[in-house]
Amino acid sequence: MTTQTGLSKPGFAPSGLSRRGLYWVGEHAVLVALGVLFIAPIVFVGLTSLMSSEQTLTASLWPNPVQWSNYLNVFTQVPLLRWFANSALYAVLATAFMLVSSVPAAYALAKIKFPGSNLLFTAIIVAMLLPPQVTAIPVYVMWSGAGLTGTLWPLILPNLLGDAFSIFLLRQFFLTIPKEYADAARVDGCTEFQVLTRVVIPMAKPGIAATGIFMFFHSWNDYFGPLLYTSENSDWWPVAYGLASFRGIHGTDWGLTMAMTVLVMVPVVVIFFFAQRVFVEGITMTGVKG
Amino acid sequence: MTATADVRQETLGVQTATAVRTPRYRLRRKLATLALLAPALLGLLIFFVYPLIASVYYSFTRYDLVSPPEWIGLRNYEYLFTKDPKVVIAAINTFWFVSIMVPVKIIFALLIAGLLARARAASGFWRTLFYLPALVPPVASVVAFVFLFNPGTGPVNQVLRFFGIQGPLWFNDPAWSKPSLLLLAIWVMGDIMIIFLAALLDVPREQYEAASLDGANGVQQLRYVTFPNITPVLLFALVTGIIAALQYFTEAAVASGVASGKAVVGEGTGNNLGYPGNSLLTYTEWLYVRGFSQYQLGYASALAVLLFVVSAVILVLLLRRFKAFTPEGAA
Amino acid sequence: MNKRIARLHLPVMALTAASALILSGCTSGGSGSDFATTTPTELSGTVSFWHFFSDREADVIQSVVDDFEKANPKVKVTVHPGQDDEKLRKAISTGSNVDLGLSYSTDIVGNFCSTGAFRDLGDVIKRDNVDMNQFTDTVKSYTEFDGTRCSMPVLADVYGLYYNKDLLSAAGFTEPPKTLGELETMADALTTYNADGSIKTLGFNPTMGWYENAPAHIGPAAGAEWLNADGTSAIGTDAGWPDLINWQTAYVQKIGWDKLNTFTSGLGQEFSADNAFQTGQVAMNMDGEYRTAFIDDQAPKLNYGTAPFPTADAHTDLYGGGYITGNIAGISKGSKNPELAWALMKYLTTDTAAVVKLSNGLKNVPTTHAALTSSDLEVSPQFQTFLDISESEHTTTTPPSPVGAGYQQSFQDWWNIYQTDPSGDLSTALTDIDKQINDSIELVSGP
Repeated sequence: MTTQTGLSKPGFAPSGLSRRGLYWVGEHAVLVALGVLFIAPIVFVGLTSLMSSEQTLTASLWPNPVQWSNYLNVFTQVPLLRWFANSALYAVLATAFMLVSSVPAAYALAKIKFPGSNLLFTAIIVAMLLPPQVTAIPVYVMWSGAGLTGTLWPLILPNLLGDAFSIFLLRQFFLTIPKEYADAARVDGCTEFQVLTRVVIPMAKPGIAATGIFMFFHSWNDYFGPLLYTSENSDWWPVAYGLASFRGIHGTDWGLTMAMTVLVMVPVVVIFFFAQRVFVEGITMTGVKG
Repeated sequence: MTATADVRQETLGVQTATAVRTPRYRLRRKLATLALLAPALLGLLIFFVYPLIASVYYSFTRYDLVSPPEWIGLRNYEYLFTKDPKVVIAAINTFWFVSIMVPVKIIFALLIAGLLARARAASGFWRTLFYLPALVPPVASVVAFVFLFNPGTGPVNQVLRFFGIQGPLWFNDPAWSKPSLLLLAIWVMGDIMIIFLAALLDVPREQYEAASLDGANGVQQLRYVTFPNITPVLLFALVTGIIAALQYFTEAAVASGVASGKAVVGEGTGNNLGYPGNSLLTYTEWLYVRGFSQYQLGYASALAVLLFVVSAVILVLLLRRFKAFTPEGAA
Repeated sequence: MNKRIARLHLPVMALTAASALILSGCTSGGSGSDFATTTPTELSGTVSFWHFFSDREADVIQSVVDDFEKANPKVKVTVHPGQDDEKLRKAISTGSNVDLGLSYSTDIVGNFCSTGAFRDLGDVIKRDNVDMNQFTDTVKSYTEFDGTRCSMPVLADVYGLYYNKDLLSAAGFTEPPKTLGELETMADALTTYNADGSIKTLGFNPTMGWYENAPAHIGPAAGAEWLNADGTSAIGTDAGWPDLINWQTAYVQKIGWDKLNTFTSGLGQEFSADNAFQTGQVAMNMDGEYRTAFIDDQAPKLNYGTAPFPTADAHTDLYGGGYITGNIAGISKGSKNPELAWALMKYLTTDTAAVVKLSNGLKNVPTTHAALTSSDLEVSPQFQTFLDISESEHTTTTPPSPVGAGYQQSFQDWWNIYQTDPSGDLSTALTDIDKQINDSIELVSGP
C-alpha cells in the first residue's frame, strides 16, 4: 500500500498532483465497475420480481408489463404471513433467550477468576467451532423423544442454556472494559450480579446489541435447523426455508419466486439500516462475525 | 456511561477493602459465579458433551429411530472406509470449498477493502454497497444466483450472448457448479471485507511515513507495514472461513434443489442433494442424506464421528496459533 | 437476592426438563395402541392422515375424506397434505401424530415393512374378511415385503408415451413409435433449432433424470430386471440394461450434451402449466396416466394421444407393457387410533365408490377389479391406454427392498452422470453398481 499524500517534495508537486489525479480516476473507475457488478444481481432480482411467468423465460430483461400482482400472489399461494411470523418468533425468542443465558456466563468468563475457567473457555471455543452436524443426531433423537420435532422449539429452547458463539463474542466485548471499573464496584460492596447489571452491561451495550443482532440474523437466515426439525410441518416453516421449498412446489414461476426472494431480504436490510452503526462497530470491534 | 462514572467516583471514597474479604463473602462469590455460569454449563453438557458421547455410541449401532439401536461393532466404519460410494466424492467436494473458496473469498475481500481504504471511501455509500450482499439471507442469495445464472434464460447468459459469448451451464454443469458458488461467495464477502477495512484503517499512518522516509516502495510498504498489522485479522478470517467451509451445507443444498428444477412431490429433499452429478454433494450433506433421508442414524453417526476427528485436528492446529481463541487473549 | 434466586430457578427447571429429554431419548418412534380383536361396532375420534398430494390433487383427496366423515359422523380426519416420503418417514420415526400415511410410490414398502414403521395388517385383514383377490397380483406383490403385508394399494400409476398429435401430423406421422429406433427417427424429424444453433423444440428429450425419465420407468422397454430372487442387485448381469443405456447415451451424444442441457434447464417445472409437453416444446414424452388430468386442467386445448412406451429394438415382443407402481397407504407404528386409521384405509382402498371417485379425480388407475369395471369410471381414449397397459403381462414394477428406493437411486445417480460422458467400460461400471447396492443392503439388513 503506497502513500504519497503529504510527503511529496515541493518541487514535484505538479507531477505528483497529476499522478494522484490519474490514480484517483483509475481507482474510482474500478470501484464503479465493481459496484455495478455487485449491485446488478439485486437489480435483476428486483426487475424479475415484476415479470409474468412467461416473460421470465424470454430474453427480455425489463418487465413489460410490470406485474405488481406477483407480490400479492405470493401471499395467496403460500402462507407467507405465517412463515414470517414463525421466523420472527424464532429470531426474537432465540435472541432474547441467548442474551438471558449468555451474558452472565460471558461476564463470569471475562471478569471473574475461578478454577476451571480456562477449561470452560476452551470447551466453549470447541463447541462454537465444531460443525453442528457432529452433534445433530443425538440432539435430534433427544428432541424427538420429547415430542418437539416438527416445531421450531428445538432451535429456540437451547438458547436458554447459552450459545457458545455468543458467549465468546460477549466475553471479547467484556474484556475491553477496564478491570478497574468492576473492582471498584466490588470494593464498593456490589454483588457480582450488581456489578454485571450496573457496571458491565451499561458499558457493553453496543457489544451486547451487536451480539443480539448476529443471533437474530443467524436465526432469521437459518436453513439447516428448520430443514432438520420442521420440514414435515409447513405450519412451522420459517420464511427462509419456505423460500427454498417454494420453487419445488410452484414450478418455474421465477417472477413469483423472485418476488418472494425480495420479501425475504427486506426485513434484514431494514434492520441493518436502522442499526448500521452498532452492526458495523460490532463486526469491527472484535474482528469476529456471525 | 454516566452510571459507571458515578460508581467510580463513589469508590474513590472507599479506603479499605479488607472488610469484604471474609470466608462468607468468598462463599457468596463462588455461589454467584456458579449461578452466572450454570445455564451455560448445563448447555454444554446437554448439547455438546452428551451428544458427542452418544454419537460415538450410535456409530457402533444400526439405528433407524423406529426400533432400538442394534450393536453391530465396526460395520459402519468398515462400510465408511471401504464401501461407501459417495463419501470420497463428498469429502473432496468439501475440501474444494475449504481450499479454494476460503482463500479466494479472503483475497477478494482484502482487495476491495484495500481499494476502499485507498479511495477514502471507507464509510457511507461505497462501504454499504459492497457490504449489502452479505446481508441477504443465504437462501435468498442462492435462489437469486441460480436464476441469474440459469443457462437458458438467465440474465447473465443473456448479457454474455449480447457480447457474442456462449455462457457455460453454470449451476447445471458439474464442472461449473462449484465455481458458480464461488462467485456467490465472492458476492457475499462483505462481512470479512468490513473487518479488513477496519484493520487497514487502523494501521498507524506514521509507520507508512517512516517506511516512506526510509525509501520503501509501494510493494515493500505493503509487505513490511500493512501485512504485519493485519495478520491477526487475516488469520481470524481464515480460521472462521475454514470452519464454515467444513460445514458448508445451505448454499450447496439450495443450489442443487433449485437448479435441478425437479419437483420433490413424492420423494423428498434428499434426492436432489448433490445435483448436478454429485458435484455439489458436500460431506455434511451426505451425512444428512444418510441420517435423515435414508434414516441410517447409526451410519450417519459414524460419518459425524469422522467429521469430529477431522475438525478437531484442524482446530488443534489452528487454535494454538490464534490468540483470540486462547483464554488469555482478546481479539 | 431475589433476583439471584430467580436466576437459580431457571437452571434447575432446565435441568429437570433436560434430564427428562435424555432419559426418554433412546426410546423413540412412539408406542401406539393395538388393534382390537373384534371389529369395533362404532367409530369415533380423530384420525390424522398424511399424504403427498398438493393443490388440485389434494382437493380430490379431501372430497373423498369428506365422504368418509359423512358416513362416520363421529370421526374427524385431520389431513396433512404435501408430505413426501422423507417427511412421512421423519414424522413416523419421531412419533409425531401420524395414523395413516399415503406415499406416492411403492419404494418405501420394503423399508417400512422391515423396520416396522408401517404395522403388519395381516390380523385385521383376516379379522374383517378383506378379500385380497380383488387386487391384481402385481399390485398385491408391491404392497408387501418378505411375507409381511404392511400396506394397501390406493390406485396405481402406469407409465407410457404421450405424443402431440398436431406436431406429429405436421411432420407427416400418423402413428406413435413402437420401438426406440422409431422413436429416435421420429424425434429427429420433430426437433427444430433456433438461428444460433440452439434447440428450439425437441421431438423427444432423452435426458435421464428429467421429468419422468427414470431407469425404473424405462426398464420394462427391455424387460430389464432390478433384483435377484435373494434380494441382491441384478443390474450388472441383466441383458436389458446395456441395450437401454447404450441407446439413451448414444442419442444424448448425437444431440450434444451441452446443447441438450441448456435447452432442458430452460424448461418449465414438471407439474406446472409450463410442462414442456403441454407447451409443445417437447413433442413426445414419457409420463404417467395422471398427466391426462393435468392436461385437462392446465392445457385443455392440447391435441394429444397416448400409447405404450416403445420397446428396445430387440424386444418388440414386450410392446404393450410398461411400468406400474402405486400409491400405498400404511398405518404408522405409533398410531394412537389404529382402528380409525384402518377404517379410513379400508374405505380408500376397497370401497368401490371411493376408489372410482379418486380415480376419476386424480386420473389414476384403480386397483380393484370392481372399480376397474365400474360403469361410473370415466375413461377417455387417452386414459384407456393406461388401463390396457396395467393389464398387460409385460407390465412390471420395481421390487421392494430394505433399502427402499436406494437401489434405484444408486443406479439413477450413476446413469445421470454417465450420460454426460459415456466413456469407460459399461459392464465394469454396472458391476460396480451391483456391489454398491449389495453393500448398502448389507449395511441396513445384514446379519
